[in-house]
Formats: sequence, structure tokens, C-alpha cells
Amino acid sequence: MPERRAFGVHAILIAASLVMVTPFVWQVITSLKTLTSATAAPPTILPEGRWDNYAKVFDLLPFGDQFLNTALMAGGRVAGQLLFCSMAAYAFARLRFPGRNVLFGVFLSVMMVPPQLFVIPQYQIMSSLGWLNSLQAIIVPGLFSAFGVFLLRQFFLGLPRELEEAARLDGAGPVRIYWSIMLPLARPGLVALAVLTLLWAWNDLFWPLIVNTDPDKMTLSAGLAALQGQYQTDYPVLMAGSVLASLPVIAVFVFLQRQFIQGIAHTGTKG
Amino acid sequence: MTTPLTGTAESRPAAAAHQARRRRPRSEILWGYAFIAPTGLGLVIFYLWPVLQTAYFSFTEWGAFGGHTWTGLENYTRLLSDPEVGQAVLNTVLYTALGLLGIPLAIVFAALMNRPRLRGVGLYRTAFFLPVVTMPVAVAMLWRWLYNGDYGLVNQVLAVVGIDGPNWIADPATAMYALVVVGIWSSVGYNLIIFLAGMQGIPKELYEAASMDGAGPVRQFFRITLPMLSPTAFFVSIVSVIGSLQLFDLVFVMTGSGQAARANPAYSRLQTVVQLFYERAFVTDDRGYAAAIVIALLVLIAALTFVQFRLQRRWVHYA
Amino acid sequence: MWKSARRGAALLCAALLASACAGGEQASTGAQSQGKVTLSYGVWDATQQEAMQELAAEFTKTHPNVTVDVQLTPWLDYWTKLKAAVTGGAAPDVFWMNGPNFQLYASNGVIAPIEEQLDTSVYPKQLVDLYTYDGKLYGLPKDMDTVAVWYNKKLFDDAKVKYPADDWTWADFQEATAKLTDAKKGVYGIGATLTSFQEYQYNTIYQAGGYVISPDGKKSGYDDPKTITGLKFWTDLIAAKQSPDLKTMTDTATLQLFEAGKLAMYWGGSWDVAEFSKNDYTKDKVDVAPLPKGEKQATIIHGLANVVSAKTEHPAEALEFVKFLGSKPAADILGKKGIMPAYNGTQSAWVAAHPEWKLQTFLDAVSYAVPYPISKNTAAWQEAELTHLTKAWTGELPVEQAATNLAAQMNELLAKE
Repeated sequence: MPERRAFGVHAILIAASLVMVTPFVWQVITSLKTLTSATAAPPTILPEGRWDNYAKVFDLLPFGDQFLNTALMAGGRVAGQLLFCSMAAYAFARLRFPGRNVLFGVFLSVMMVPPQLFVIPQYQIMSSLGWLNSLQAIIVPGLFSAFGVFLLRQFFLGLPRELEEAARLDGAGPVRIYWSIMLPLARPGLVALAVLTLLWAWNDLFWPLIVNTDPDKMTLSAGLAALQGQYQTDYPVLMAGSVLASLPVIAVFVFLQRQFIQGIAHTGTKG
Repeated sequence: MTTPLTGTAESRPAAAAHQARRRRPRSEILWGYAFIAPTGLGLVIFYLWPVLQTAYFSFTEWGAFGGHTWTGLENYTRLLSDPEVGQAVLNTVLYTALGLLGIPLAIVFAALMNRPRLRGVGLYRTAFFLPVVTMPVAVAMLWRWLYNGDYGLVNQVLAVVGIDGPNWIADPATAMYALVVVGIWSSVGYNLIIFLAGMQGIPKELYEAASMDGAGPVRQFFRITLPMLSPTAFFVSIVSVIGSLQLFDLVFVMTGSGQAARANPAYSRLQTVVQLFYERAFVTDDRGYAAAIVIALLVLIAALTFVQFRLQRRWVHYA
Repeated sequence: MWKSARRGAALLCAALLASACAGGEQASTGAQSQGKVTLSYGVWDATQQEAMQELAAEFTKTHPNVTVDVQLTPWLDYWTKLKAAVTGGAAPDVFWMNGPNFQLYASNGVIAPIEEQLDTSVYPKQLVDLYTYDGKLYGLPKDMDTVAVWYNKKLFDDAKVKYPADDWTWADFQEATAKLTDAKKGVYGIGATLTSFQEYQYNTIYQAGGYVISPDGKKSGYDDPKTITGLKFWTDLIAAKQSPDLKTMTDTATLQLFEAGKLAMYWGGSWDVAEFSKNDYTKDKVDVAPLPKGEKQATIIHGLANVVSAKTEHPAEALEFVKFLGSKPAADILGKKGIMPAYNGTQSAWVAAHPEWKLQTFLDAVSYAVPYPISKNTAAWQEAELTHLTKAWTGELPVEQAATNLAAQMNELLAKE
């Protein structure tokens, strides 16, 4: 390709990348300033190594607990969905039973409904089970996903039937075929589901905000919203809190970038 | 994570397989139901039944501390005459419509990154993807700071070129547009990945043939890439419209809720349907009314999705 | 793990049931146990968390079988979440109550009246009355607060303005505000805050001789010309650019503007002692003066109370704890932590805790203090206050118009109570 054109492409992409990244740089810089210097005119660019903003975050939020809650919630949802969704997806893709299409349609209909429609009754279920302010409350409804079933079913449908047929002739039943043949083959699909579920669970706000109100039982995103409730517009403290809360999933992303990107690409092409 | 389970899985299916060989159809039926049972039960308990309950609640009125009474269509008549609801629907639809501008943007950037042998694609992709993996609460907080009228980075940059920027999020004239920019900023990376995948599925021969006909990259983009990508674009637009209509996190964090939010002069321009639902359901505990609001949201989503499917024939090209 | 899909489903159901039962079981054993009792104590102020934990520990010293778990829920979420918890039966055993919410909780039977005869003469009468509903006392006053002017001595010195005198008037205040405002430095005399009526609007309304709600709780005072004068006090300052406009105060709250040296004065409560003594910028730059006098001298008095949940499993222990929190030893601990206790005669410790500030100002204000205006559903008309007055603050509507609209809606809401 002509050099000049490549240069133009790079110029556009670098400019756009700066727009994407600069806010984060500014976030970190502000988190290390005092309120006075963050509001100084003219503005100062250099961070000042004021770690007390981070100390203030830890003062207000049981950050360790909230990190653990978020990790357990995300982990629990991922594990549950991988198992339950793959089971259902396999059945819809490969087993024949009466009412299969109707049931699949019912599953799909759940996907079409905005989640806010579930919230009030779900809240009541949690409260009548005595589950408000508990790990179960933020994990259990997230174990079941119509989207996950749909995504994995597409995957199973795309897999070759030969291996299965061979196994069936060897006397393998549905459970064995599911476990030792289909699951390993569907690995990319499982990874895609795991990555998306992890991302959505980690960043979920609405549900955890409502059910878990005890700071020790909150997730990071609800805790961060609570930080704003307390510190109003003390931006350096808020920036410190938001750096801390979003760092873990960014770190995971850096390590698993390929999986993240493939996972999302799958939702577009297969979905 | 599969290893610890294989041990138990090995021993059991032998018996099941036995059964399977003898009476395959029947066991397959049973297994079919068994396999969908966990998710099926979960969906019924936590999703399908709640939908019916919400529909029922929309005809009731709630006391301050629980308990509800049947009030018929009262919530719906109130809904139709509530200016706050009308404004929230307008705001939400405007946000959704403007948010669609992110799709062409994502396509353009995907096309730029899809050039063969382009160096540094990994870095660009990471940059675009960073906002996608960042917690929306953090994104909203960050932009609230960037948009600060007096001390925010946006206005400080504008000041360099002599522009005195507004209080973006507190000014009724700019608040919604400022919000849309954040929405696009945080989702363009996600859509870009999907479009990149879509572009990789376009047969190379098409481009080669076009090159031989003397078509340059720009013409190739309009003649080949765009039409071939239209099904993907349709999928993305469906997902993005449904997502935008449910906007909550960004507004909730940027304005707060309840009394404090109402002191923001731009609040009436920012309040979305889901934000209003949250306030009525969990701040003022008017859950019956909240249920009616969310049923209205369902209707809105269904209507706009239907319109999109009707319109797709005009622009989606299925090869 | 699970043996088959069917059993898996069965196990799942069993697990659901088991945890539901486990929850119930825990509750019942908790109620009968003579041994360890854990009380949950709901509070909203992070700056008081430490003091509350100290009080909890102190209580355990005399009641070794009871431990208290202090649960902090930030102010903005506190009432939402408390209501949700009450509905779900998971309310804290003991929690903080304030004036605006009290009647709602008492009239719905959510909090338990104190049946035991206690000596309430040790608390200011206004506060005991505040927490009495239908002739029954529901909470013991924990602390009290009045409002005064916090001012930045450095900005006063820079502008060569004399510190406020104890008998200063609205005219003196307006003159000082004008001199203290320095547009070039981005410094304003005051921030006409809209989000805290207790610290701003209510004070000037009563100073102007107006009222918020009639004594019988049936009529709004917002269409009273004197009330409107009290509101105009603030909008005039915005119009004169001696206060930031509402958009600016939305982007950066006045508390932060004051703490960043952008506001010379901040009308704040006695509770701000904790905040300003901790803040690196304010701790050696601010002091306190009384609110300026309008037609009358007035400040809003309010105080929190500790109340017992009607559904607590440990009513006896919870009441013991509330009594302890309302006792003199507890008041002494509070006073040392920068919180003005409600218990008569214990406030001098609170005043002495910060000799660098004229905290006596807050105590002296009690003599002319006006109680915080409330009704049974205070929150409903407080939302209306913001919806309507925001328009006056931005200048979209003249103050008279916005206030009259507000009065009409408030009267409608009061009629429904």
C-alpha cells in the first residue's frame, strides 16, 4: 500500500486512540492530586503522589470485602452459566424430545424482555427467602441465562456430527457425549460465554445496587456509587475509587485480550 | 476446570449408555428434559414468573412499606398524563437515535484497522477496547469530572483554542449530547470488534476482482465492505437500540437520583425511562406505578425493534 | 458434584429449600439464645463511624453478651435502602432516625415506641417533641445541630474584610459577600446551595419572618410574601454573581468549592466540625459566626434520634443499647468526637474539643432556634421543593412564580396525608 496513505490511516487511528486513552490518564493524574490542585487555575498536569485519596477510599469502603464479593459473584455466575447453559444448549441442539422448539422459543422470549421487568418480583423473592444482603442474592438469578443457551446452541449446531455418531455406536449415552465430546469441542464458545459473563457480572450495577445494601456485601460498582453518595464531587477521591474498582477487570483483559475479543466477535457473527 | 469432574463422569455414563442403546428415543427424551431442567427452572422462577407478576403489579398501588391493592388501570392513566414520563421517553428515544451514530463510526475505524499488514493494530484495538471493559460506574464518574464546567479537562482543552465551554452535564442545552458522546465512546470498541470479525468473513476474491477493475480502497469500501457488512450492522443496530433504551448506569451516576438529582437543572433532559423506573420503584416506593412504567418500556422496545425489522429490507443486503 | 441431570435439578431445588430453611432456623435460634446477641446498628455518616464503633465497644463492656455491628449506609442511599430492608424484614435492630422521616416510620408501625417511663428532661424539649408521635416517645435524641456561618479567614484577610460580628445583619452579610467575590480568582462570597434547605433556605425563610409549613401541618407557607423574601435572599446573590450559578454548583458541590478555597463562606451545621477538622485545607483556615439577622434572628435546630425496629429479634437488648446511646457517658464520648450531643450539660466538652473555633456559637443559637419543619410525608413535598425551586435558581421562573407553584403542589400533597 502507498506509504502516504498508510501514514494517514495511522494518523487517524492514533488520534482516535488518544481520545480513548486520555480520559484514563487524566483519571489517574487526578486521583493523585489534592482537591485544591485539581481545581487550580491554570491546571497542573503532573500528578503529585497524593496517595491519601486512595486511603480515603479504603476508609469508607470495605474494599477487600467488596472485591471478594464481586469476584465470587462473577465467578459463580460464570461457572453456573457454563454448566447449565451448555447442558440446555446441547439438548436443544442435539437431542430430540417433544416440545423442543416450543421450549426453545420460550427460552428465547426471556432474551427479548428488558431485565427491569424482572427486578421487582426478583427482589421480593430474595426478601422472602431472607437473601437480601447475601452472596446468593447476587449470584443465583445470574446462574441462568437464555442468552448463554442461545449462544452455545449456535456453537453446538456448528460442530460436525461424525464424532458423536462414532461415540454413539460405541455405546455412549447423551451424558457422555455431552461431557467428553461436545464440551471439549465447544471450548471457543464456552470461553466466549465465560468472558462475556465475567465482563457483564463485574460491571453490573442495577441488581446488586438494589439487593445488597450492606457495604460489606456490596459489589464494587455499587460501592463506588456509594462513594459518590458520600464524597459528592470530591473528584480526586472519586477518581481514586474508580481506578481501584475498574483495575481488576482491565488487568484480566490485558492477560486474556484474545479471548475477550474472540468472545465478542462470536456474539456478532454467530448470534 | 474440566479435570476434577471427569473422574465421576467416567464411571456413570456406562449404565446410561446401556439404557440408551436399548431404548434410545425414550431415554433421549428424558435426558433432553433433564438437560434443560436447571436453566428452565431458573428461567421460570427468576424470569418468566416475575414478568407475569410485574404485569399484575402494574394494576396495583403499593403502601410505603409493602402491601398492595388492586387499582385497575389507574397507573396507566396516570402514566399517560405524567409529563415526567413523556419527557423520559423523549430523552430515551433521543439518546437511542443519536447513539446509532456510533455504528458508522465503528465501521469506519474497523475498515481502517482491517487494512492488510497494518502495524500496531493490536495497540489500537486495545485502546478502543479499554472503555468497553471499564466499569460503567467508573466511566460515568470519570466523564462527570472531564465535563466539569470549571475544572474539567474538556473545557480546559477548549480554552486553549479560545472556547469557553459550558457546564456540559448541568446545562439543559448540552447534557443529552454530552451523554451520547460518553455512550458512543464506551461502546464503539465493542462494535468495532464485531465489525472486524464481520469484515474478515468477506471473501478476499471480491476485493481482488475489484482491484483488477481499478477500484481504489474507498470505492471498495462502499461497493464491497458496506453491503457485505450490512447484516452485521443490522444485528449491531438491534442490540444497540435495545441496550440504549435501557440506559441507567451512566445517568444514575452522573446525576444521582431523588432530591439531589432534581437540583441539577439538566435533570429533566437526562432522566431516562429506566432511571424513572428505579426512582419510582426503589426511591419513592411507588412500585405499582414503576411496574406500569416498565411495561411501557417493553412496548417501546418491541415497537422500535419491529420498526427496525420492517426497515431492514431497505438497506440490509443478504448475499 | 451432581450424579445426573435430573438429580442435579433435584439437588438444586433441595439447596434452595435448605438455604431458605437455614435462614428461618437461624432466626429462631437467635431469638431464644440467652448467650451471644449481635445487634445491628444502622448509621449514615462516615465521619461518625469511628465514634459509633467506640460507643458500640463501650456498650459491650457493660453488656458482655451483646456485640453491636455498626452498618454504614451513605446518606444518599440510606432511606431508600432502609425502606427496602424494612419491607424485607431485614432492618437493623437499632438505627438513626431524623425529623423528616420520623412520622412516616412511626405512623406505619415500623419503629417501636419506648413504653418504659424515662426521664426526658435531660434533652432539649424541641427534640423530645420532635420524636413524639400520638403521645408516645419513639426515639432518644442522640445529638443536636444548629446552623451557622463557616468562613474562610484567609479569603477574608485577602479581601481585607472584617470577620463577621456576632450581631451582624443581612445587610452586613450582603456587603461582605460583595467584597469577598473575586471573579478573576474564581472566588465567590457564598454558594447559594439548593440541595440543603436545612442549611440555607429554611434559615432565611424564618429570618425573613416567613414559614415553611403551618403549625398544624396542613398548609404550605411558600406563597407567603415573607417566605418568598427568604428565598430571594439567595437568588439575588446568584443574579449578582456573588454566588456560583446552579450549573456550577451541580458540577462541583459547594462543600468542595469551600474546601478548595473558592467560597469565602459556607452555611453549615455543627456536624461539619468533623469534616472541617479533618480536611487539610480547612482545618486551620476556617472559623464560625452566627447566621446574620434578618427581620428576626433564626437558625434551624434538628437532631437525630436512635430508634428500635419494631421487628427486632432482641427488643430488650436493643432498648438497652438505645438507652445507653442516650446516656451521659455516651454523650461525653460523642462530644469528644466533634458531635454535639443532645444530653443537656454535656455540650461543653464538645465546645472545648476545638478551642481554635468559636463553637459556642452553635450552642448560643439554640435560644433563638426554630425546629426543622416536618409533616407525616415530608419527603413528598421536599421533592416538590426541589422540582419547583430549581426553576427559580436557574432564573427560568421568577421566584414568586416558582414559590407559588410550589405552595399549590405542597398544599395538594398535605391534603393527601
